Amino acid sequence: MRTTTSRPMLALGPLALLLCLAGGEARAWAQTPAATSAPNGCVTCHEKSSGAAAHAVTAFATDIHKARGFTCVDCHGGDAAATDAKAAKDPAKGYKGVLRGAAGVQACATCHSDANFMRKFSPSQRIDQAAEYATSVHGQRLAGGDTKVATCASCHTAHGIRAVRDAKSSVYPTNVAATCASCHADATHMAGYTKADGTPLPTTQLAEYRTSVHFAAMTKKNDLSAPTCNDCHGNHGARPPGAEAFVNVCGTCHTTFATKMQASAHAAVFDRGCVECHSNHAVQPPSDTLLGMGEGALCVTCHGDDNGAAAATSMRAAIDSLRDSVEQSSTLLERLHASGMEVGAQQLALREARSHLTLSRAEVHSLNAEAVTRVVGEGLAVTKGLDEAGAAATAELRFRRQGLAASMVAILLVVVALLAKIKQIERRQAEQDGPPAP
Amino acid sequence: MEPGDGVVNRPPVRRRTLLDWLLGLGLGSTGLAVFHPVRRFLVPPRGGEAETASVVAGSLSELPPNSGKVFPFGSRPAIVVRTPDGELRAFSAVCTHLDCTVQYKADTSQMWCACHNGIYDLSGANVSGPPPRPLETFVVNVRGEAGREEVVVSRS
Amino acid sequence: MEDPTVATTTSSWRARTATWIEERYELGALTRFIDEKRVPVHRHSLWYYLGGMTLFLFIVQVVSGIMLILYYRPSAAEAYESVQYIVTRVEFGWLVRNVHSWSANLLVAVAMLHMASVIYLRAYRKPRELTWVSGAFLLFLMLGFGFSGYLLPWNELAFFATKVGTGIPGALPIIGHDIVRLLRGGDEVTGATLSRFFGLHVAILPAITTVLVGLHLLFVQQQGMSVPPSVEANVKKGERLRETRFFPNFVLHDAVGWYLALALLAALAAFSPWELGKKADPFASVPAGIRPEWYFLAAFQALKFLPSHVLGIEGENVGVIGFGALAAVFVVLPFLDRGASYGRPGRWVSWLATILFAFLAVMTVLGYILA
Repeated sequence: MRTTTSRPMLALGPLALLLCLAGGEARAWAQTPAATSAPNGCVTCHEKSSGAAAHAVTAFATDIHKARGFTCVDCHGGDAAATDAKAAKDPAKGYKGVLRGAAGVQACATCHSDANFMRKFSPSQRIDQAAEYATSVHGQRLAGGDTKVATCASCHTAHGIRAVRDAKSSVYPTNVAATCASCHADATHMAGYTKADGTPLPTTQLAEYRTSVHFAAMTKKNDLSAPTCNDCHGNHGARPPGAEAFVNVCGTCHTTFATKMQASAHAAVFDRGCVECHSNHAVQPPSDTLLGMGEGALCVTCHGDDNGAAAATSMRAAIDSLRDSVEQSSTLLERLHASGMEVGAQQLALREARSHLTLSRAEVHSLNAEAVTRVVGEGLAVTKGLDEAGAAATAELRFRRQGLAASMVAILLVVVALLAKIKQIERRQAEQDGPPAP
Repeated sequence: MEPGDGVVNRPPVRRRTLLDWLLGLGLGSTGLAVFHPVRRFLVPPRGGEAETASVVAGSLSELPPNSGKVFPFGSRPAIVVRTPDGELRAFSAVCTHLDCTVQYKADTSQMWCACHNGIYDLSGANVSGPPPRPLETFVVNVRGEAGREEVVVSRS
Repeated sequence: MEDPTVATTTSSWRARTATWIEERYELGALTRFIDEKRVPVHRHSLWYYLGGMTLFLFIVQVVSGIMLILYYRPSAAEAYESVQYIVTRVEFGWLVRNVHSWSANLLVAVAMLHMASVIYLRAYRKPRELTWVSGAFLLFLMLGFGFSGYLLPWNELAFFATKVGTGIPGALPIIGHDIVRLLRGGDEVTGATLSRFFGLHVAILPAITTVLVGLHLLFVQQQGMSVPPSVEANVKKGERLRETRFFPNFVLHDAVGWYLALALLAALAAFSPWELGKKADPFASVPAGIRPEWYFLAAFQALKFLPSHVLGIEGENVGVIGFGALAAVFVVLPFLDRGASYGRPGRWVSWLATILFAFLAVMTVLGYILA
């Protein structure tokens, strides 16, 4: 049925063919400037009206599709050349009206799922959004007749669609969380939805996400590669990643940790992978206190009086010892530097010790006390060398002070001797000059 | 005091000599305390002149194509790499993520940080892993006669 | 020449040298002068030692400065590194640099005390007006040494302090911009400023200072120490003016003071070393808490307090012109306080000086508190 021209309207079947015959050629989607400058009957009426239709006209002014030469009828059908509403909205001319629910998805997919069509506009853009959408919780519920779920326009907007890389786009990385939250943080909207286990679906994800390191990285460090909702849930195929997938999902960025974790004994035990310790939406900056059996530690959740507890304690002790050692060396070097000593080489070594501390914290994810202790040992060897260098510098400082003390003694000796000498001279002079006049 | 009496005069003479001796000792030792640092100051220290904005990273022969070398640049590490094409480039070796030291990875011709698997390409750009920024770039020059060239890295 | 009955070998050797010199240079007049020179002794005599102390610290500056030049490099690319090299690599370099920095500060402080004592004791009155004038200019030169030397390590604090300091005359109408350009060697503080300040610090200022110090000392030796009016009045009433020999009594006392200053310098250098800070980066944003050396802080703070406009004139202009006028009054003070020359010292000088010193002290303290 399809012709090689791949016009969107053709996909709608015989109706479109009819449209074409009716003179659709002239105002088709093609990127001819003439197409956009031709008078558009839809706009003529709708810009004078009020409400949603008028808003659609205004919003469409900045829409990326308008920039590419598309007009109202490319999605809504009908006849823009007609002069009265009835002729324009003639179902015989393909008029589809407002595109709600599945109709909206279908309208977008007409072009966006067509590889040959999309190649002319954005060759590298994916064309599987509709297929992905069908696998999402949104898509599956829509298929089941739920009209409250998100469709394309819910996230991308209906008429003011912008490219994803446009900072004003509702799906630009910094805007994604707010866009998802427009439904997911709305308790009324989400009422009645449940998780797989039947518990009510929470609406606290955005609030939790805003406390996370990921949100901080995105908004404070302006790191656009920091994850937002879609990076873990998928964008068009959005749904919870699934328990067994957590390590993989987090591992897309945190490779080192994921690899070590998957090779560890805990891979089989942790149902929710990384989330067991780090939470999902409210991922906090990691700290050494999470490790071990002490206050604030997480190992204590499962381990009591067993080998695991011993390993956790020893890992924590090892890391603490290296951290303390690095801090001590750092203080020492700062003190020496402030005293005017040369510590460039030692500062270089201190960096290496800090690297080992970082490495040992990564090694914790292998949950192997032996491996952690090994890395820590390497770091401690570096700080030991630093302490020796520090001792040498301290000795030099002591030498300076001793030298100063020695010169002080000499100077004081001279001062005292001089004063005595002056007294002596004065007495001699007094003897020579005779007693002073009364 | 009565002048002229030899018996009365003797003690002052002895005291004077002791005082002069002490004064001489004090002056001599303070003189030494000044002279010694001055003399040591004038002797040029070993290990060459003041470190400026450039540093010798090593000899060119140490760097075959597709290799890298980490060297101290002031109090921070830097890395000089020779691309598979034989071009020399230098960067700060301090990973922009958590300050670990990066190293050259010959199998992929990239710079790699062991701590969290951060990867930089040979122009210093962060291409994978957690590093948020590219590595700081330095300027590399080669000097010296053929066969014994030195690789000199400077800030700008 | 030899008198074996009296002289030992040493003293005959001494006598021979003395005669050798005397035959050629006729030092008799000088030794007679030194022998006969007397210094008055009274309850204000202690102040007489401040001049000698200033001279001693200046000599320390010359010696330590010459030593630093051996390693210092006056360029924006190398200045900081070379000072770092001196402090960390050269043996006793830390000592030389710290002595130079501390001695500079002590020198300015002692010179200021010297000046204050001369004001309160009216030592500038006839016939010592020119001694005062040369001293006033010497004080300005010391401040110039301090200002130019502060920049030489090319660290962040000094760089921005110099930027602010050299920018102040820019507020003056018409000539302001040219003065700034002259000071900076360009429109901005750059390596050109460093070269300029280095030249100023080690060539221009020392040359002028040498001449002025020579004149100042010549005047002092020629006219002797000034006796304060209060003591002079008592002498007129018939009280005897006690005197002591310049040599050896006064000189030995001076030497005690110098040794004490030396001890203080050594202690400060070893226990309170000057930090080098970070290398100046002209493109960095201004770090918090930049301020000039303490002896400029009062002027700096006073300028900050001035309202933007005083009587329709720009506040900073008023400040700059005000300090200029103050300096001018300071230089010609002996000619303004004419009464003092005729035994009627005006109280107003002491009052004004006290008010001024109090103002400067308050501004300096505020400068530290508010920074």
